[in-house]
Amino acid sequence: MSLRRKLKPWCWCVPAVLLILIIIVFPIIYTGYISLTNMNLYHWQDYEVIGLGNYARALFKFDSGFLSALGTTLLWTVLNMVIQLALGFLIALGLNAPKLKLSRLYKTLLMVPWAMPAYISILLWRVGMFNTELGLLNKWITALGFEKVDFLATNGIAFVSCLVLNLWMALPFMISTIDGALQSVDRSLYESATLDGAGFWTRTWKITIPSIRPVIAPAAVMTTFITFKQFDIIYLLTQQRGYMTGATLNTVITYVHQNAFVSNNYGLSSAVSMLLFVIIIIFSLATNRSLRED
Amino acid sequence: MKRKTKERIGYIALNLAFILLCLVTLIPIYYAVNVSFSGPGSSLSGDFSFLPEDPSLENYRAILFDEPFLLWLKNSLLLSVGTVAIAMLCAVTAAYACSRWRFKGRRPLLMALLVLNAFPQVLSLFAYYRILRLAGLLNSHIGLMLIYAGSMCVFAVWNMKGYFDSIPVEIEEASKIDGANDAQMIWRIVLPLAKPAIVVTCVMVLITVWNEYLFATTFLLNSDYYSLSAGLYQLQSNDYTRSWPLFTAASILASIPLLLIFFKIQKYMVSGLTAGGVKG
Amino acid sequence: MKKFLAILLSALMLMTLLAACGTSDEPSGESAAPASEAPESETPAEPVELTVWHDNDEALMQAMADAANAKLEGTGVTLTFEKRTGLSDQLKLYGGDAANGPDMYLWAHDSLGTFVAMDILEPLTNLIDESVLADDLPLTVEAGQIDGTQYLLPVYFETLLFLYNKDLWQGDIPATTEELYEYMVANTDTAAGTYAVVNQHSTSYNVSPFINGFGGYILDDEGNPGLNDPKTIEAVEYNKKFADLEADGDYNTVTTLFNEGKAQAIIGGPWLVAGIRAAGIDLGVASLSDMTLPNGEPLAPFSGVQGIGVMKVAAETKGDAIALALEALASPEVGVALAKAGGCAPANSLSYDDPDVAADEIIAAIERTADTAQPMPNAAEMNVMWGPVDSMLAAVNKNGQDAASAAEEAQAAALQAIADMQ
Repeated sequence: MSLRRKLKPWCWCVPAVLLILIIIVFPIIYTGYISLTNMNLYHWQDYEVIGLGNYARALFKFDSGFLSALGTTLLWTVLNMVIQLALGFLIALGLNAPKLKLSRLYKTLLMVPWAMPAYISILLWRVGMFNTELGLLNKWITALGFEKVDFLATNGIAFVSCLVLNLWMALPFMISTIDGALQSVDRSLYESATLDGAGFWTRTWKITIPSIRPVIAPAAVMTTFITFKQFDIIYLLTQQRGYMTGATLNTVITYVHQNAFVSNNYGLSSAVSMLLFVIIIIFSLATNRSLRED
Repeated sequence: MKRKTKERIGYIALNLAFILLCLVTLIPIYYAVNVSFSGPGSSLSGDFSFLPEDPSLENYRAILFDEPFLLWLKNSLLLSVGTVAIAMLCAVTAAYACSRWRFKGRRPLLMALLVLNAFPQVLSLFAYYRILRLAGLLNSHIGLMLIYAGSMCVFAVWNMKGYFDSIPVEIEEASKIDGANDAQMIWRIVLPLAKPAIVVTCVMVLITVWNEYLFATTFLLNSDYYSLSAGLYQLQSNDYTRSWPLFTAASILASIPLLLIFFKIQKYMVSGLTAGGVKG
Repeated sequence: MKKFLAILLSALMLMTLLAACGTSDEPSGESAAPASEAPESETPAEPVELTVWHDNDEALMQAMADAANAKLEGTGVTLTFEKRTGLSDQLKLYGGDAANGPDMYLWAHDSLGTFVAMDILEPLTNLIDESVLADDLPLTVEAGQIDGTQYLLPVYFETLLFLYNKDLWQGDIPATTEELYEYMVANTDTAAGTYAVVNQHSTSYNVSPFINGFGGYILDDEGNPGLNDPKTIEAVEYNKKFADLEADGDYNTVTTLFNEGKAQAIIGGPWLVAGIRAAGIDLGVASLSDMTLPNGEPLAPFSGVQGIGVMKVAAETKGDAIALALEALASPEVGVALAKAGGCAPANSLSYDDPDVAADEIIAAIERTADTAQPMPNAAEMNVMWGPVDSMLAAVNKNGQDAASAAEEAQAAALQAIADMQ
């Protein structure tokens, strides 16, 4: 009986664990294995294990360029998360105002960016918004009598452009998660607080935020990872082959892609990936504090 | 009386804020809609007009009938349903176990899942190719469903576990006394209570499937099996085939099914906790 | 801390455990596929369906397939063309996969070196006699060779052209780039968004007419990058003065400007023609060879040869059928069909005897440009060159970086990327 009790939780986890072992863990191990081989264009099918040589070379990829990319990535992640959480919370709070009759309509409209496939959204913004000749933003700017702005040409403005696009794409998830979390707050807490004379902001600060924190923490952490690993936006917006805009903005992933993946040396790029994986693990353990239960 | 006017002004301001917010959000979409209706005579480079000059449905006709759009749509739906089913089956049980039972290895398991999530998935292409070929699942939807479900599983487990934690245990204990087994209890009590989290998680999985094109164009060998986003990606991928108005029409069409789903599920996003009055 | 160690340890153990099964799976997977294919080796009398992967316009490829299949009638061999987006990456997975991969592929010749290095291609002379290629233009045949071995069967080729709007362009097409520049200065109003000439000025391929014309190079015959060669730098600097008057150089921007009559001319390839005609533009075409640079040399764009390569694994089992298919694809009729379907300049010189092909002014302009055009380098190193060159052009044209320093950075990046290949 006791053994059964001990095993039961694990049995419940078996499907998920099995799936994750095959889909997530196996590729990591495979990458680890390739990183020990000399698989490259010249040894495409006849590669063999050569030991840790690739790691020695991979370390050189973590140079000053990588450090500055890491800085950019951290800034990118922090800014994104702060803005997403703050805006997402405010918007969700507004949507939950009891007498807001059109809230369902607003909610659906705000979800629209979510419905558009991500790469389509990115191309849409690149051509339809940011482009100097065709983009709406520049049409409005010139209509107001100002000079055209190239939103993707230099790092500063390209960073802001990428940030705006990422917010546009990611906020719907944040809003709906927080909106869902707000539903879980025990209404009776509000009632008693109101009786005690607490105003709206006091209630929000003292009751709402503490109650939803554990519910949205996992989503927030997941979003942090997604934001940290974000590749498509910066790549497709500024550095796709044939569409380079002049900005040299790099996150760690785009930097590693640019410097270790274009050469088709899979042994080397796998070693770089494994090292990058370790770096991301270290960062995730640093953020794990926010996940402490209770 | 005074409080009421204050409240009314507050709501007017709130409504205005939301209208503004929606407008800002919809600008790019509006642009896409506008371009998608543009006929051969209208101009993208000229001044922006609020209604397309010389509107035409030609782009929509071309996408719907000259391309296997409906076939791709069917494939996307099939993939979505399959992936959501696999991912949710795996994730709900695991999330429930991790939320309710304090078993040995639980916390390491949760942390390991989180850490694994840090691996950039693009790098897994070769490994997936090996597995799928070994299993004979190349060119099959099942192979793709497994990949999608597996990559969303960690997210789903974490996301739902957070919500399960917020459901009082007492509710379940009451039903236990009534003689329900674990599976029945989850189905009847926990899932209805956790509806908002379940719905958001499903939507997230759904969107992943809807968006993904790299694995789909790589592991499906027959373009008749393509999902919508894989098909559209192929359509606009090179200089021979690229057409901006056609592409915007396709993107609008690709978004509509998801929008309909969003609109439909809004009412399920209200938790059973408040709506059902289960709370004792 | 203890907890963290425990997690790490358990994860590691899990990994090593799985690594054992993961790696042992490897060889069984490799051997399974070819073994199941082996008995399929057959005589051409039995029907054989051959698959060709491409990443081109499907209507164009269909015209080609139809022409080739008509030639193959009675042999039992049929060709099917399948579009695969991101072909080059796909061949990295499927190139050695007899069960799931293609039998042949069609793609531009600049990636040939990569596939040859990967050892997934069969030399054509193992399958067909060299005489099959005897009628092909020498430029296209050479583009399909690596170290003297023929790997690609050339089908058609492309170069950049000077395409102009006959209703807007005033006077003759300038004979020198300096006159062209003067015309551009006089006829461009960036604020209003009207341009004399547009070009994808920060894309390597589209700047090649300048780089090659100045005597610079991206990659020499020995596979050395030449981005900091003084002549390359001179060309990039010269290109910048044009770039300032050519909008932002994005593909969508420049094609839209031209198709909507906001640009009088565009430097682009034959693949733009269908869109331009559909937009109702009265199109004129001139060869870039007819325009000379200040050094007296004509502009010399890259030429790209679209050719068919044969996968090694397919050649082992279906060699005879593939040989028949290659002979059909090399016929002048296929070239004529392609020329009629999409303005492609056939590789087979006999195709030009067809009156329709001879009368096509786009094809005539491409053929004329072939005099000065340089085939893109096809060494494996070429694959890593596009990125650094594009970065250099973007830095110079869009960020105002000085050409010499941008060239040094790009050269260093290119050398590093080439070193990383080994």
